[in-house]
Amino acid sequence: MATARHRSSALRRNILLFATAILVLVVWAFPIIWAVIVSLKSEKEVLAYPPRVIFEPTFQNYLDAIFGGLSIAPSLVTSLIIATATTVLTIIIAVPAAYTFARLDLRGKKWLGFYTLATQMVPPVGLVIPYFLILNKIGWLDSYQGMITVYLTFSLPFAIWLMVSYMEDIPREMEEAALLDRANRFETLWYVILPQVRGGIAVTVIFIFLNAWNEFLFAVQLGGNTVRPVTVAMYNFISVEQTLWAKLSAAALVAMLPTIIIGIVAQKWIVKGLTVGAIKGGGRL
Amino acid sequence: MTDDKGRIQLRGIHKSFGDFEALKDVNLDIAAREFFALLGPSGSGKSTTLRVIAGLETPDSGTMTVDGIDITHAPPGERDVAMVFQNYALYPHMTLGENIGFPLKMGGVPKRDIPGLVRDAAKRLKIDQLLHRRPGQLSGGQQQRCALARAIVRKPRLFLLDEPLSNLDAQLRLDTRVELKNLHRSLDVTTIYVTHDQEEAMTIADRMAIFMDGEIVQVGTPQEVFDRPNTVKVAAFIGSPPMNLLPATLDGHRVTVTGSGYSFELPKAPDRTSGSVTIGIRPSHIHLAETGLSTQLFLTENLGETMLLNLRFGEKMIKLRLPDVRHFDDTEALHLAFDLDHVHLFNSQSGRRID
Repeated sequence: MATARHRSSALRRNILLFATAILVLVVWAFPIIWAVIVSLKSEKEVLAYPPRVIFEPTFQNYLDAIFGGLSIAPSLVTSLIIATATTVLTIIIAVPAAYTFARLDLRGKKWLGFYTLATQMVPPVGLVIPYFLILNKIGWLDSYQGMITVYLTFSLPFAIWLMVSYMEDIPREMEEAALLDRANRFETLWYVILPQVRGGIAVTVIFIFLNAWNEFLFAVQLGGNTVRPVTVAMYNFISVEQTLWAKLSAAALVAMLPTIIIGIVAQKWIVKGLTVGAIKGGGRL
Repeated sequence: MTDDKGRIQLRGIHKSFGDFEALKDVNLDIAAREFFALLGPSGSGKSTTLRVIAGLETPDSGTMTVDGIDITHAPPGERDVAMVFQNYALYPHMTLGENIGFPLKMGGVPKRDIPGLVRDAAKRLKIDQLLHRRPGQLSGGQQQRCALARAIVRKPRLFLLDEPLSNLDAQLRLDTRVELKNLHRSLDVTTIYVTHDQEEAMTIADRMAIFMDGEIVQVGTPQEVFDRPNTVKVAAFIGSPPMNLLPATLDGHRVTVTGSGYSFELPKAPDRTSGSVTIGIRPSHIHLAETGLSTQLFLTENLGETMLLNLRFGEKMIKLRLPDVRHFDDTEALHLAFDLDHVHLFNSQSGRRID
């Protein structure tokens, strides 16, 4: 009797959990599902009222978005260059910087967190004009180096701040052991520290790449005809006369692909439990 | 190997961390191939001394030489020193084999020679079956062996052990203690061993230095330190259980324990002839008698072959070790007499030993 009641209450709880999960999933996925549906409709079908559930799907929007007159293909390459360069440079600079912050006794170290947050506190709009003027002055408007430099100013403090916490988790003895094992500081970083912060690097890569890939405000102001990232190119589907919703959706979904790939690849590196047990009593991650 | 490879000398080492003086004028001579323990309570400076020897800390002043060569400012990697850390500090992302081979790789040993050397070291510590595992997949004891193997694989001239047994359970600690001693014998390398466990130091070391508050208070063989502690603090630290310390007055040969009618004549006249002193007497150097220091039984501890009596004497607790086990009534009144050859005298102000 008691068991039956117990079983039915467990069942009820499971149903409730399942329903909640479905609800959250639908709410979270709704815009993407909507975009997928819209991207498979013709422009006319999109605006049809009442909206039709049954329609003839077409891939024409994808062909138009990639190969058509307003093709986003060149911009995809541009975005890829900018996001990749920003990510690679950020990692190259942030990793040794974070290591320094985590290990060496530097003055001003405690301000790092505040500085990082401060850069996030400033509304980006407030920075567009100064950046525009600076880039204009040095002739870097509508250039790769200009865009990448501007993105670095945001990504670096954030990446360093993020990596420091991962670095600080590694016991100092680990490096001392390496130093005694005749490794120099660089070898210690390369062979001992970096493999242990792979998870942190993966997280940082995802964040920085996504931010650079999805950035719109600076791209639209500081870019131009030469450097036009995909976020700006997509905007071309919206004009005063009309908005090409279907093509815009198709373009957006195509633009999502690299970020999804990066996410999947990087996720492999975010391995839990790698360091557990290395230091007696101090499992990490 | 020359006879005196691995001879260490520390002279006037000072080290402060902010306001905290970790080491105050540490002087130490360690002979080649000696098994030397740095013993002391936590915060006494023993680990800092080991880190200075390793090159992980630079002293504020003073010098350190190995075989007569000044290496005070040499980086750790150039000292030919291997160290086993208290938490082992194994590289978690490497297999055991890679861990043990790492110092060889960094030391520029040809790649083809590394697997053989790693295997030899692992075999010596009986972990050659585990070379493909990662540290996380090993027990504490196995990790400890791996750390030892990583240290011995490159045949350093100096072998440093920082509380290597403190993370092992009691039985494993006893076994490893014997193995360490054996390992030292077969390696024939100067070994410096940091511990806060006086029993460990007593059983394992050839000689030891006792640290208190950043200073070395006594250096000697375990027997010397046990038989003739330099100060009250050393007396209270060494021995398990440690020496009983009681206030007393000295008048020529005669010692009277303060707060009791118990007095006795010392067999040999001390340097100082009168005044207040602290007497020290080990639990095994006290016996029950018809008359003597009157105490009240508080608690008995049956140790199997022997027995410890905890006796109340005024505010103090006196420990007495009986060579056999017998029955006592609770709160029984007992009289104690001291083995007079084994009474230690200390200056009650300075705490220094009076001979």
